[in-house]
Parts: sequence; structure tokens; C-alpha cells
Amino acid sequence: MVMVLLAVLVWCLGWWLNSRLAKGPAAHTRAVQLLVPAVFGVTVVVVWELLVRGLEVSLVILPAPSVIAVRFASSMPILWQDFAQTILKGALGGYVIGCGAAFLTAILVDRSDFLRRGLLPVGNFVAALPIVGTAPILVMWFGFDWHSKAAVVVAMVFFPMLVNTVAGLRETSAMQRDLMQTYAASYWQAFFKLRLPAALPFVFNGLKISTTLALVGAIVAEFFGSPTVGMGFRISTSVGQLALDMVWAEIVVAALAGSAFYGLMALIEKTLTFWHPSQRG
Amino acid sequence: MKHLMTAAALALGTAGAAQAADDVTLQLKWVTQAQFAGYYVAADKGFYEEEDLNVTILPGGPDIAPTQVIAGGGADVTVEWMPAALAAREKGLPLVNIAQPFKSSGMMLTCWKDTGISAPADLANRTLGVWFFGNEFPFMSWMSQLGISTEGKGEEGVEVLKQGFNVDPLLQRQADCISTMTYNEYWQILDAGVGADELITFKYEDQGVATLEDGLYVLEENLDDPEFVDKMERFVRASMKGWKYAEENPDEAAEIVLDNDASGAQTETHQKRMMGEIAKLTAGSNGALNPADYERTVSTLMGGGSDPVITKVPEGAWTHAITDAALK
Repeated sequence: MVMVLLAVLVWCLGWWLNSRLAKGPAAHTRAVQLLVPAVFGVTVVVVWELLVRGLEVSLVILPAPSVIAVRFASSMPILWQDFAQTILKGALGGYVIGCGAAFLTAILVDRSDFLRRGLLPVGNFVAALPIVGTAPILVMWFGFDWHSKAAVVVAMVFFPMLVNTVAGLRETSAMQRDLMQTYAASYWQAFFKLRLPAALPFVFNGLKISTTLALVGAIVAEFFGSPTVGMGFRISTSVGQLALDMVWAEIVVAALAGSAFYGLMALIEKTLTFWHPSQRG
Repeated sequence: MKHLMTAAALALGTAGAAQAADDVTLQLKWVTQAQFAGYYVAADKGFYEEEDLNVTILPGGPDIAPTQVIAGGGADVTVEWMPAALAAREKGLPLVNIAQPFKSSGMMLTCWKDTGISAPADLANRTLGVWFFGNEFPFMSWMSQLGISTEGKGEEGVEVLKQGFNVDPLLQRQADCISTMTYNEYWQILDAGVGADELITFKYEDQGVATLEDGLYVLEENLDDPEFVDKMERFVRASMKGWKYAEENPDEAAEIVLDNDASGAQTETHQKRMMGEIAKLTAGSNGALNPADYERTVSTLMGGGSDPVITKVPEGAWTHAITDAALK
């Protein structure tokens, strides 16, 4: 009971601190802007720990953060193996192939009206297929190892990337394109100097959406057959063994990897599209 | 229409009786199929009503861990395999076996004969499909008994694949052997057009590594409550009556299962065949757990090589208290 009261107290304290920070005179400095979400995160973790211990919640339902942290620290080699198998091979492989293919296809679609009318609906159809339906089939086609996971990721990221890039390539105005014409620019000159830069915000939008899709696809695809390594494999088998602390350790890895991946893309976007209105201020 | 009327009448009947009867929620290990015929028969034939029970049967599925459901308070009693139950017990979820309607294990490894496999020793240097989710333990223990490593392919090792819940890896020849149950997947392979003479099967039962399947488990703390114990005695008695009825009338039992299959995914031929195979596994059990079978399961699980399922001998993981009272 003491712990539960303590949890309520910590929650109120965190709330009070954050509202003070947000209203305070230094609210617009970089440090405070980083501090506010950090305080929130720490409060959530502390309240979680206190509630789970105070209410004696079974490990099987929800392990305490400290238990997860201990498991995380003691299982580093396994977690790294799983990370390499699922994220580095499956998710990243599929991401590069899927986004690359979608980008090249988008250029083809942009050059040919026939493809735009014919291919985009097919892409739409493929994107609407549920992963639980495609994953077992792709495992059948490409085998149990990471190749089938990469194939699932390709199927998942291809369409969002394609639609965004196609939309981006249509972003320039008729006036701008006319200007390029008066300079006697060839298609590729106009493409690299005018249309690709204008499309970049859209391209990065597609790339950022695809980061999380790739992660989810690679992990979930492992539920449908995998070698005895990988994050999806570990999660599904650990649930069967009721090793929920291991499941949560994998979730932590996935969350960190996903945030880092997304952050990396956002950073590249920022350096490449510094001129765009969305990046000012 | 007639079905609808009977259903409505039944619903009214149970609603009327529900006021007096005690509620019991049973969580199954897997989807509605003849593997659980005894419970459906007991409900359909009114055996539960005779014991003044109102039993709700919750089907499981690939995304449902029965141990987690019972831990969360979603069920009073659950059907589970002993390896998973004992692993859960060691993890701090005190499950207790109160009855064991299944005497024998239906799990086996099914291989292509033309790969040259004729004895367990030939399994080295092959690719094998294994179910995980708590079902891998007997396999690991078997391999460690044979001295075969599961770390990868080689003279002394095998490549282990996490097999989904279908038989495609064998049909596609992605694996030389896969896990099957005598009552389910084995028949799916035959249905796919493979002749029984093209296959060679190793029953875990024959290899001495069989573990107990499909027992009834409850939370230990509930057994301190005399009312709960009384409810379970009646539940086990009625369930075993259902099981013995299903054994003697397999076709009728299969029909009852089909009537209860809300998903409509099961077919009549498949369920009748499954019931026939299930009857072989429940034969010889009156519901009471045989301590010798339990000891064998524990030693199998503890002999799981470098990564045993349970590290210490469990205490109080089963009780005869319920079956002694229920079956006298």
C-alpha cells in the first residue's frame, strides 16, 4: 500500500515539475525542451515499478522495469544475435531493396502515364494484403532464414514509398517546369536540378514511414517460421515459456532500434532539405 | 430454424439454471476440435448440469497462451501440456495438475523415408521442424539423449527450424522431418497426397521422452478454498464422464465438436478421424494422474541439455485430492 501511495506521489511530483518547466522562463531553451520528455519518461518508469511491486502484480502479467533491466543486461549476447538476424539482415535488407525498388519504379511511373494508371492500383492491392496472409507464403517461397523476412518487408514498404515518391515528383509547378524548358534542359537535367530536390520532403516521408513498417514486418514474419534465432522467434518462444522479462527486453531492443532508425532518417532529411519551409524555425 | 429454436431454448435453459449453478470457465489449449471432445460432450450431454455446474468453454488458438489467461484471472481451470505448466510454475505461476485425462502423448516426428532416415541416430545432419511456444522441450531432451547438438547442421548436429502450425515445410522439403500430432498434422500430410509408406514416424512415446499432454491445471492458491475444490471435483467427474462417452461414441462426439465450432473451420471427416486418434490417447486414463508418468515427464524436462526447461524438481505440482474425491 505504501508503494502505491508513493507511486501516486511520484506521479503528482512529475506532473508538477513538468508544468513548472513548461511555464517557466527557460521554457524555450533546448535544455528544457529535452528535459520535459525525459522527466515524463522517468516518472512513468518509476510509477510502473512502484505499482507492480506495491500491487504484487504477477511477473507473468507485467514484469517490473528493474526485472527487465536485469534481464536485458544479462542477455546481451542473445539480444545482439537476435538484433543482427532480425534488424540488420531482415528489416534493413528488405528496407533497402523495397525502398530502392520503389524509388526506381516511381521514376518509371513518372515517365509513363500507362504505368501510373496500371501499376499504382496493383501496388495499392499488394499493400492491402494482410501480413498474416503473406508471411507464411513468403516463408514457403524464400525459406526460413532472413530472406523471407526481407521479402515481407519489401512487400510492406514498397507501396508507401512508391506513392510518396510519385506524389513528390509531381510537386513542381508548371511555371517551374516551363522555365527549365526555356533553358533547354534535358529530362535528366530537369530531374536532378529541379524535380528531385522538390520531391525530397515526400521521399523522406516515405522513408520515415517505412522504418517502422520494416521493423514490424521483420519481427512479425518470424512468427510464421524461422531458424532458432531472431527477435520474433525469441518473443514468441519466450511467451510460451512465460519468460515475460525476456519478451520485454526484446521490446526494449525493438523500441531503441526503431527510434534510432527513424531518428537517423529525420537527421538525413534535415541536412538534405534544409531549404524547405518545413525545416525552418 | 429448428437449430435456432433449440439454441434459444438451450440459452434460456442455461440462463434459468445459471442462477443456482456454479460457474466454471475452462480455457482450452487450442482451437475447438476433437482434441477437447470430452468437455464439449459433457456440456452437450448435460453432464455438467447434472453436477449443478454452468461451464463456459473458451477456445484457444495460436495467439493465446492458456497459462497467461489463467494467471490473469480469465479462467478457473485450463487445459495445458505439462512442460509448459511446469515451466510456468518455476517462473512463479503456481499451476497444479488436478486431473490427467490423457494417458499417452500424441506427439511424433514425421520424416521423408527417401532421405534415408530409418533410426533416430540418422537424424544427425538434417533439418528438422519443431514447434516452439513451450512444445519444444521434449524434442530438446530427446536430442540431448541422442547426443545430437541443436546448434546447427553438422556430423553431430541438426538444423532446427521454428515450424509454423502447418505441414508445408515437409511438403516443400524445406525440412527433412517435422513435428506432428497423431490426431492432426499427420493426417494433413496424408491428405496432401503423400502415402503413409513414404513416411517414417518416431513417436515420442516410443523414444521414452514423452511428456504429459492435455492435463487440467488450476492455480495453487485456489485449492485452499473448499468451495472451489468442491466445484472442481464435480467438474472433473463430469468431464471424465464426457471423455469416456466420447471414447465409446467417437462419431457422435465429433458431431458435437463440430456443432460447437463457432469458426466453422473444421470438417466432418477430419474431426471423426481426430476423435478416433484421441480416443487412443485418453484410453487407459480414469482422470487420475499416474505419478510414474509425472516422474518421467520431470526427468525428460530436466534432461534438456544445456538449457533445461526446469532447473529444480518441482514440488506440489500435482494433487490427487480432486480426482480421489471425484472418482470414488
